[in-house]
Amino acid sequence: MSNHPSIDALRQLFEEQLQAASTEQALKGIHDAFLGRKSGTLTQALKGLASLAPEARRETGQQLNALKSDIELALDERLSALAASRPPAGAVDVTLSSRGFPIGRIHPLMRVRQQVEDIFTRMGYEILEGPEVEDDYHNFEALNMPPDHPARDMQDTLYLREPIVGGTWGAHRRSTGARGAPGGAEGRGWLPAAQVRAATLLRTHTSAMQIRYMKTFPPPIRIIVPGRVYRRDNLDLSHTPMFQQFEGLVVGPDVTLADLKGTFEAMLRELFGDVSVRLRPSFFPYTEPSAEVDISCQSCGGAGCGTCKHTGWLEILGSGMVHPAVFEAVGYDPGQVTGFAFGLGMERVAMLKYGVDDIRLFYENDLRFLEQFPL
Amino acid sequence: MRVLLSWLRELVDVPGSAEDIARTMSLRGFAVEGIEPVPADVSGAGGPADAVLDFEVTGNRPDCMSIVGMAREIAVAYGVPLKPAGQPPAAPKRKAGLADSRTQGGRPAGKKGGAAGIDIVIESPDLCPRYVGAVAEVEMGASPAWMQRRLEASGIRPISNIVDITNYVLLETGQPMHAFDLARLAGGQIRVRAARPGETLRTLDGQTRTLPPEALVIADAERAVAVAGVMGGGDSEVTAATRTIVFESAYFNPLSVRRTSKRLGLKTEASMRFERGADPSLPPAAMARALVLIETTGAGRPRGRVIDRYPARIRPATLRLRRASLAGLLGCPIPDRDVRRILERLGFTLGKAADGWRVVVPTRRGDVTREVDLIEEVARHYGFDRLPVTFPALAAAPPPVDPRITRARQLRRVLTAAGFFEAVTFGFTSEAAAAPFAPAADLVPIANPLSESFAVLRPSVLPGLIDAVAHNRRREQRDVRLFEIGARFTRSGGERRAVACAWTGTAAPEHWSGSARAVDFFDIKAVVERVCGAVGVAVQTATSADSSLAAGSRADLIADGTRVGVVGRLAQAVADAHGLPDDDPVYVGEIDLDALEQLAAGRTIRVAPLPRYPSVTRDLSVLVADTLTAADILRTVRDSAPATLVRVNEFDRYQGKGIPDGSVSLSLRLTFRSSDRTLTDAEVQAATDRVVAALKERHGAVQR
Repeated sequence: MSNHPSIDALRQLFEEQLQAASTEQALKGIHDAFLGRKSGTLTQALKGLASLAPEARRETGQQLNALKSDIELALDERLSALAASRPPAGAVDVTLSSRGFPIGRIHPLMRVRQQVEDIFTRMGYEILEGPEVEDDYHNFEALNMPPDHPARDMQDTLYLREPIVGGTWGAHRRSTGARGAPGGAEGRGWLPAAQVRAATLLRTHTSAMQIRYMKTFPPPIRIIVPGRVYRRDNLDLSHTPMFQQFEGLVVGPDVTLADLKGTFEAMLRELFGDVSVRLRPSFFPYTEPSAEVDISCQSCGGAGCGTCKHTGWLEILGSGMVHPAVFEAVGYDPGQVTGFAFGLGMERVAMLKYGVDDIRLFYENDLRFLEQFPL
Repeated sequence: MRVLLSWLRELVDVPGSAEDIARTMSLRGFAVEGIEPVPADVSGAGGPADAVLDFEVTGNRPDCMSIVGMAREIAVAYGVPLKPAGQPPAAPKRKAGLADSRTQGGRPAGKKGGAAGIDIVIESPDLCPRYVGAVAEVEMGASPAWMQRRLEASGIRPISNIVDITNYVLLETGQPMHAFDLARLAGGQIRVRAARPGETLRTLDGQTRTLPPEALVIADAERAVAVAGVMGGGDSEVTAATRTIVFESAYFNPLSVRRTSKRLGLKTEASMRFERGADPSLPPAAMARALVLIETTGAGRPRGRVIDRYPARIRPATLRLRRASLAGLLGCPIPDRDVRRILERLGFTLGKAADGWRVVVPTRRGDVTREVDLIEEVARHYGFDRLPVTFPALAAAPPPVDPRITRARQLRRVLTAAGFFEAVTFGFTSEAAAAPFAPAADLVPIANPLSESFAVLRPSVLPGLIDAVAHNRRREQRDVRLFEIGARFTRSGGERRAVACAWTGTAAPEHWSGSARAVDFFDIKAVVERVCGAVGVAVQTATSADSSLAAGSRADLIADGTRVGVVGRLAQAVADAHGLPDDDPVYVGEIDLDALEQLAAGRTIRVAPLPRYPSVTRDLSVLVADTLTAADILRTVRDSAPATLVRVNEFDRYQGKGIPDGSVSLSLRLTFRSSDRTLTDAEVQAATDRVVAALKERHGAVQR
């Protein structure tokens, strides 16, 4: 017994075509090609049976009929499977683009600011803001920079033509922990709406708040003051006439330079990841000893590259132990308390952290820049 | 301070390379801004190439604005001896072929013991505690090549043998010196006195300057010949024709030099050292050095004795240094031997005391006036890296966070969720950009602005924000939503905090479904309402007259009867001034955060019970004059309805076909509910009728 070879070929042809067919249209085409009333190949074959000998006719006829019912069954199955997979009425093309849901961004400097605030909040610091317009006493004199002090040259100051009333600060502490009688002399006692009465300059650093705070509250102190500061600097790659700082101040009976080191290591490692931290002696009139704080260069891992001017280190903040003259100016006894203070530039942190090489980008507010900082 | 390595090595046998010295000294407080290779000094002909290290000397260390000063620090850092200053560098260099056959080693103090033809009088000893002068016969010419090279490497232009010697001594010892032509000093006199009113002087730079009244001058019998400690005068300067000179080596009061230098706008190598504080003990030694150099370089010979006028003697300070303070400030005890080693090598003299030491401070260290300054010296050379790492103990409960900081974060959340990007712009702006936002008399001008564009403090956050919108519009960004939180300033209001936002482009972005829509007034209104709501204040809008906004699309924001901000479409003139295109309006809003927070103060959240009975709604359409505001209509509805009216809102507004000109059809939805019963149809109908009657009576409204 041997099968009619053309029947096997027909079966194989059908199976190949069925395999390739994925639409109702294609299935119909297959049906017509094999079982079409006039020109279907199987129909033709069945018609051709008449010309065969009876013996062969019976056998071939059985085989052809078997193939016919297989084809009909297979096509029916595929058709119903296709029908089952057809999307329901009202179905959508889920690959079309979404309607969009505009979402903004937090400015990278404020992103850094919030992160630093969070780090210090967890370390038990009070975070507060101070006025941007200040007077000479708080910005310079009480910080051990009397008039004509050469260090004033380090900070080119913008002055107002006439004094105005500065911003308020510390309203949230009105009822707690204030010393002195309300309404006392500026700074001496606690003013209910602690405010700069005759501000004559734009603060050159947030350090002015050290004085305001210590004149108002007794030690121990642990504060962070973020805010805008101003210098008479022209705009270039690394300077802007306004920038953002964090002032930190810790005062207590036994605060040491070693504590300063520990605080910075904790803070900078959280901010920058696994970096080394080092202190270099420096000079600020309001701290003694003074130190610049460096972190190991992340671009080169400390080996030396263009970013770190081949030193392996990047300067990140200025700091030091509070100068006794500052304590004397606010009425603290330098024999009883010590403290450390620091100033951290938000732009500096953001530039290092995000690889920004032009400080002006922070102040252009270009959406293409801002959108690179996801919420 | 540019330090030539070969010059430095004459004073200290430092083993390391220039790079090594830079690394070491940056950890002792002297950062190096750069290392510059230079050809080898003539002294080391055939030797290795030389280098200049540019040290950053902090303002408190004028003693290190010299080769000797830096050498001393380096000697301590490396634990090598400092060779005594004053070794004539010329000695090994005479081989280099100086045309000098004279015997050398002439002692500066003249043997004649005479006045040498100069009379020195200090009239203001408080401003000039010490003045050392000496006369020398000179033969003017060029200084030797080695000296010229050293000056050039140090950034000073060689001029003549005598002037070069003054500069050389300045660089080496840190003592500024000056040379006068004796023949040009009237009466052979040097008088150190205050400037006379209106006195003028032509300084070495060729400018004739009127001397400030407090200035200290060096004068001859007739007139000022130099601004003390700042710059010499042109009429007494040494020239090719000079035969006899007077060297000056003095100590001037730092404050006086600083004031004069500032008033004259004249900063010199000398003034920079004097104003930071020179060493009152140094002038005689520096003079001796200069006189030796005159002889060894063949520039001339001293005449007569050195005159040292020191009417206001400055004594070295003695300070106490306690072990407990040292350990208390640094966080660990420092071994006694380290304390002694460091301080003695820096030139301090230590005596014993029960709790530490009695320390005599060398006069060159005017910066060391307190115990803490000594502690810094010890820490600096002991090494900050050797101090332990600890953490400050928490001694009290942390105080609350400034609510303004919490508030700013909350506003950032609200506004970013509304699609706004946060901007940060400068606190100052140009007068023109500020003008639309405050009256000219209320602006706060900066006395010394950098440029016109930073001439006044911003009276509003908006000018900067609008600039940022314009910046983005010029860069293919049509849809811009920006906000900023920051201070603004006026003369009447002082410094106050505000939040501002700006929105241009689409309210709903382009989408295949065709839902795009341009931003309009009611979008920005929703934003400012949301901001105020986040702070806890409900605001109403009222028509505004704010000229920075376009008439017909502007409103004041009112809360509890106080104007807390504005909202609306930016006036076209303002948009034009910022270079914004005409076709896309910019909608803006600005809110006074200080005012808002004052209104919100003390507000707490109290939960109301949930409604237990169903509500009933009634829709109502009325025809009213189109000049009538929605606020007026809603007020009438609330006034006339019973307390069971819990909500009323406009749900349709129609003008056009079928509506008479000057009228508008407004559809209102009234929601009634009672907290103690289910309202009946009759009750609600009666209430609605009352509302309709009131609208008719007050506004002539016709129910449709």
